[in-house]
Amino acid sequence: MSLEIREDRRETGLLLSPVGRIDSNTSGELERALLAKGAEPRLVVDLSDVEYVSSAGLRVFLMLARKVKAADGRLALCALPPSVRQVFDLAGFTALFTVESSPDQAFERLSS
Amino acid sequence: MPEAEGTLERSVARLNSLLEVSRALAVEFDLDPLLAMILEKAASILEAERSTIFLYDPSARSLRLHLSAELARGSVVVPLGVGISGQVAQTRQLLNIPDAYADARFNPQFDRETGFRTRSILCAPLLSHKGALVGVIQLLNRVGGGTFGEDTEEMLRAFASIAGVAIDRATLVEAALEAERAEESLRLAHDIQMSMLPRHLPTGPGLDMSASLTPARSVGGDFYDVLKVGDRVWFAVGDTSGKGVGAALFTAMTLTLFRVAATIARDPGEALSRMNRELARDNESLMFVTVFAGTLDLASGDVVYANAGHPAPYILRPDGVTALDAPPSPALGVVEAIDYPLGRMNLAPLEGLLLFTDGVTEAQNPSGALWGSEPLEVFLRDRRMDVCAKLIERLVASVQAFEAGAPPADDLTVMALRRGPPNG
Repeated sequence: MSLEIREDRRETGLLLSPVGRIDSNTSGELERALLAKGAEPRLVVDLSDVEYVSSAGLRVFLMLARKVKAADGRLALCALPPSVRQVFDLAGFTALFTVESSPDQAFERLSS
Repeated sequence: MPEAEGTLERSVARLNSLLEVSRALAVEFDLDPLLAMILEKAASILEAERSTIFLYDPSARSLRLHLSAELARGSVVVPLGVGISGQVAQTRQLLNIPDAYADARFNPQFDRETGFRTRSILCAPLLSHKGALVGVIQLLNRVGGGTFGEDTEEMLRAFASIAGVAIDRATLVEAALEAERAEESLRLAHDIQMSMLPRHLPTGPGLDMSASLTPARSVGGDFYDVLKVGDRVWFAVGDTSGKGVGAALFTAMTLTLFRVAATIARDPGEALSRMNRELARDNESLMFVTVFAGTLDLASGDVVYANAGHPAPYILRPDGVTALDAPPSPALGVVEAIDYPLGRMNLAPLEGLLLFTDGVTEAQNPSGALWGSEPLEVFLRDRRMDVCAKLIERLVASVQAFEAGAPPADDLTVMALRRGPPNG
């Protein structure tokens, strides 16, 4: 299973946009790709093109948050589709992340 | 005719060696030592300075370097039809190249990387006994210089046919062992999971109760538990992220912690906080577990509960079904210091609760549609006053009827409890 991850290097930081389903088939790939960027000082993950996140996928975001924090960087998630947002909400994890509605707002929040 | 005699002697010696090799290959079932033996024998018997083996990867339609003196396994990948080995793999015909650098198909990159100077090449396909491509074997540089002769071509053909069958067999044995190991670890995960569940639920005149856990094939993460401590019954349903033995062990640890917490904590909120602290400590893999935990006071019907990232249960009342107000706090295992807020409600006689894991609402039918919470609510409205055992049995049957034989992707766990009739 392959998962496309678009990368956009901006002046304000790095924007990563995974595309597709994040489940137990694709979470390993996402984990490698995201954790490789764990040393970025300002990282935003845009979830607008993610149609599904399983609990295995949630774990990847937890690991990324921990890695970014350990490197003194800042992480934000943005543009969560309602079904994805619900998965974060149900597991009680939304409060553990900085969540914004768009990449621009996310970068703004990270540079404040 | 001293020269002809010499040739004959050499041929006999080589045939004897070949016979020896075929005996040795016949008893070696481990792929790596087998390949090492093939390489070593090929070079020594067939008088080449080097030999290399590429194995064929049908899914990538390419050859992968498996064993050579200098280069790491997998460091060279050759698409079918490309280069000398790729062409041999595609045509399944032996190639005898007298001067590698004069041949356009030769790729000098490996010489550059290893410092080796390739002159002559003899390359033959490795085939299984059914004629399927297994890989190719290459002899590099005839010892003493010159071109590999026709007799060596014949010998390599014979050698390759023995080696191909042996490699194919070893690969099959390896795959079978791997499948068996995977099956064994699934069984282990299920054994751990099922052995931890309570054998008896504390039912009696004041309490009707039933629970069921149907494990999915590759998951070992759901659990439920019920304990009577003093006048209260502690109950919990949970779901660990991940699958396999790791998830099963994490689940077992969660259950153990719940049983300890139930005997020392004042309420489910404190119990979840304690469990979370233990599970989050040194949790390198960031596995997590969602848990809904509650206590029921058998005399008063007071229910106190806390929710760590779990779907909210339903309240079953004679006049209808409603979702319990139980906003989720973070699942256990992720952040060390969390206070889990308490919710409170009262169950009147004959009122009950239905707890479940997302294996119910996310059950899939063969076309991939999810069951969802609406059909669950409809079912509960119809069956809310059933005896708990019946309710659970029918609910599991309804989910499985929806799945219509599709293998479940997740464990399916349900628990129902109901207070007895007044003065019962």
